[in-house]
Amino acid sequence: MANFLFYVMAAATTVAALGVVLAKNPIASILSLLAAFFGLATIYLLAGFQFIAAAQILVYAGAIMVLFLFVIMLLNLGDERTLHPLELSMFRGRRLAMVLAVAAALFIVAILAIAKQGVRPVSSAMPDHGFDDVNLLAEAMFGRYLLPFEAVSLLLLATAVAVVVLAKRDRRPRIDPDRELANAARAEAARAAVNETEKVLS
Amino acid sequence: MTVPSEHMLILAAGLFAIGVAGFLLRRNLIVVLMSIELILNAANLSFLAASRMHSLASPGGVVDVQGPTFAIFVIVIAAVEAAVGLALVIALYRNKQSVSINEASELKH
Repeated sequence: MANFLFYVMAAATTVAALGVVLAKNPIASILSLLAAFFGLATIYLLAGFQFIAAAQILVYAGAIMVLFLFVIMLLNLGDERTLHPLELSMFRGRRLAMVLAVAAALFIVAILAIAKQGVRPVSSAMPDHGFDDVNLLAEAMFGRYLLPFEAVSLLLLATAVAVVVLAKRDRRPRIDPDRELANAARAEAARAAVNETEKVLS
Repeated sequence: MTVPSEHMLILAAGLFAIGVAGFLLRRNLIVVLMSIELILNAANLSFLAASRMHSLASPGGVVDVQGPTFAIFVIVIAAVEAAVGLALVIALYRNKQSVSINEASELKH
């Protein structure tokens, strides 16, 4: 039963991943990506990685998806005018052939490497706490991998600062050359009028 | 589940190839970022498959958690990449009113 479910979820994940690449509307892409993440979480669960499956749902489906959807909605990208003509014609021509050749070559090399190693049959023996027991995971992360852990936390801090700086609206007033010229002309005219009045008064 | 870990690796290879194709094919910057997410997920899946293989082959059923540890690091890196990438998308859209990567070609010439 679990084996059958694995193959069903693997097929569904592959179809969803293809949907991400082939969908014309970015909203359809993002929903396909969501389906792929859920399929992968199911596969992690079936393979005995309960904690990683939970983290996958929380971080990918919870946080990253919302970020993507928010940006798409903010920029109003379902709109037709943001679809570049090149975007619509991407499924034709030599570039498509080259890209498919590169992807197929990568896939075939990976399959050959896996086939060379050979498939080892698996008995149903799974450890009680799965393959990612959180106690062992915590010991590894705060023991042997403490330095990478701290580096990643620094990276997160730097990212928070970088994102604020990048996405902040530019507050400096824009210098518009046309308006500058118009202002200068208006000032000149006013000065001339004042001179004229003074001349008349004297 | 008695599916061999090699089949998980094959699925990871497929997801990676699809992600690379999307990365090279699409011109919408947001979909390019989604393709990178797919690639990182494929990396995660192969980390976990290798970890499972290693744990099952070890005598006495000793669980080795190096794979899941690095999978968590990859998840964090993916979140960081998405945040910075989307901030760049917003900055590009503010300057060009478009998210097509054809618009961002000043450094090409």
